[in-house]
Amino acid sequence: MSSIEIKNLVKIYNGSAIQVKAVNEVSLSIEQGEFTAIVGPSGSGKTTLLNLIGGLDVPTSGSIIVDKTDLSTLSRKQRVDYRLYNIGFVFQAYNLIPVLTARENVSFILEMQGVPKAKIADRAREILEQVGLGERMNSRPNQLSGGQQQRVAVARALASKPKYVIADEPTANLDTKSTENLLDIMEELNRKENITFLFSTHDQRVVNKARRIIVLEDGKIVKDQRKE
Amino acid sequence: MIGSIAWKNVWRNRKRSLIVIVAVLLGTVAGVFTAGLMKGWIAQRLHSVIHTEMAHIRINHPDYLLNEELVFGIPEPENLTRFLREDPRIEGFSGRTRVTAMAATARANTGIILNGIHPEEEKTVRNVHTKLIGNEGTYFDTPMQNPIVISDKTAEILRIKNYEITPEVIDSFRKAGVPEETCEKLSILLNQRFSTEKAFVKVLRQNLAHHEIKNFGSTLLAQSEHFRLRSRVVFTFTDSQGKLVYQTYKVCGVYKTNNTMFDQMNAFVLKEDLAEGAGFGPTDMHEIAVIAKEDTDVDALRNDMRALFPALSILSWKDLSPEAAMMTEFMDLWYLVIMGFILFALAFGIINTMLMAILERIKELGMLMAIGMNRRRVFRMIMLETVFLTLTGAVAGMGVGAIIIALTGKTGLNFSSVSEGFEAMGWSAHIFPEIDAGFFVMVTLLVILTGILSSIVPARKALSLNPVEAIRSE
Repeated sequence: MSSIEIKNLVKIYNGSAIQVKAVNEVSLSIEQGEFTAIVGPSGSGKTTLLNLIGGLDVPTSGSIIVDKTDLSTLSRKQRVDYRLYNIGFVFQAYNLIPVLTARENVSFILEMQGVPKAKIADRAREILEQVGLGERMNSRPNQLSGGQQQRVAVARALASKPKYVIADEPTANLDTKSTENLLDIMEELNRKENITFLFSTHDQRVVNKARRIIVLEDGKIVKDQRKE
Repeated sequence: MIGSIAWKNVWRNRKRSLIVIVAVLLGTVAGVFTAGLMKGWIAQRLHSVIHTEMAHIRINHPDYLLNEELVFGIPEPENLTRFLREDPRIEGFSGRTRVTAMAATARANTGIILNGIHPEEEKTVRNVHTKLIGNEGTYFDTPMQNPIVISDKTAEILRIKNYEITPEVIDSFRKAGVPEETCEKLSILLNQRFSTEKAFVKVLRQNLAHHEIKNFGSTLLAQSEHFRLRSRVVFTFTDSQGKLVYQTYKVCGVYKTNNTMFDQMNAFVLKEDLAEGAGFGPTDMHEIAVIAKEDTDVDALRNDMRALFPALSILSWKDLSPEAAMMTEFMDLWYLVIMGFILFALAFGIINTMLMAILERIKELGMLMAIGMNRRRVFRMIMLETVFLTLTGAVAGMGVGAIIIALTGKTGLNFSSVSEGFEAMGWSAHIFPEIDAGFFVMVTLLVILTGILSSIVPARKALSLNPVEAIRSE
């Protein structure tokens, strides 16, 4: 049973002189527990598609139905709640809160979700240990390497056990070792927790790990391949 | 957690935040000190109104207020004085007789009100006995016949005050380390008497250098001042029978309050002496001044007395001096207006700083909104950050202001260069600043309000961000 159902999705950006069709008639089904990479050249619409699925942007036409809810029917406030309770985001530039420690960065999202304080500390420690940062949980982002920061970002995305993790080029700023380490962690969490992972990437190492590869060109799906 | 993030955000750019904090600190110190100065000044004025000029409550025959004729004494005062003695809310009271008279010496004359008093009773309601100047005067502690206590101003008008540099004055100057050259110049003026301050100052200017007058002039003036105690002053007034009578008093003491007008108008004599001259009976009195134990009891006490003695005029100091009462109530608001103006001006700097902070964090704010931080939380975070920034400076400013007030409150601030103008209006020129905890509470609330209002512009800027665009920004 599909958990994300996308039909005839179109996203047009109106520039000052021209219109850009960033996503063009995309239809797609994503099932629970998938580990999917969306690949394609720059400007092919990968990030736009992920933003639409993540409820960060609204489509020009078409529909995105997530767990039987049509995202286009949600108000702005409902979209914020949808993101908070259903989606874990991992960004290319880590985007941690620099004044908070790793533990606090993870705890923050749990607090926003209204998780009881007693449980927040345990969950933050648990998830940071899972990503191998049990020893560094009291370090601030500027005291961590790029790979470690991205692992904190993953821990933050996964802390509240979301159904979906949307990662926009998560390995773009990482070296090979950090990339492999991060991918191993995400793959393990995907298998253990049955969390759906959606990546946009240029990185062949990510593509190699993905079990489904969707290729976008000029906003259209040109290839959708599942690995055995 | 949002509070924690907001507090930590304040210290992200320490230099920028400290500039705002120092600006708020200085503004708060200025506001607190100004308020303290004015509060102290007004408190002194009120103290003077109550304990020198009017007392808490004044009781008269109702017609006496319209026409101060001697026949309008307080009728049958026995019941009233019994009540005043027995009511536990009353600290003290003094019954006075009052006569408007013309005072004359061989050199000058002036109009004056003679207050006939019992010194011990009067001490409980009026602090003139603590305002004696000169070394030899007393507050009726003298065996002399018909003693009178007059003011410094009256002494000056009646020319029973003079200026003389005595050997003792020069000795005290030498002991105080005044240069020998100055002391020698003063020796030339030894034992010369000057009947007016103007004449004395003129001679000093002719003999001393400018810097010597600047450094020692005021001390010299104070030490050279002499009152001719035991001087006779003849008073002419109409007695209770309507006949013009004369009575002679001898000066036993000279007082000086902060109110030149009061000083010029009032002289004090023993009640029995005035009764003899004016033909009053032993229990006659034109007014009774009452001091309550607590300021807060005054209104209730006045109302109770009005109910018990409806035939009398019973007025509190607020009725007698509505401008002083209005001033105390108005000034509490005025202090906040001053702080409000200061904070309003500072708000522009705070808004500017917060806008810069927001523009530097667009990417981070985009991320926070993307992961599910709603608009209310974003606003709260920025509002708290602004309040913390403002409150840090304000708390430090209130601390520094309180220390300055504590220090100057002990020694006072002397504005003697403009004292004549102040004292003519009944205001002290030596101000002891003071402040109360309630003012700090109000300032804290005002600062929080300023922080909240200042956060609106930067918060709106943050809330207008599109998370997708904000995350992509550099």
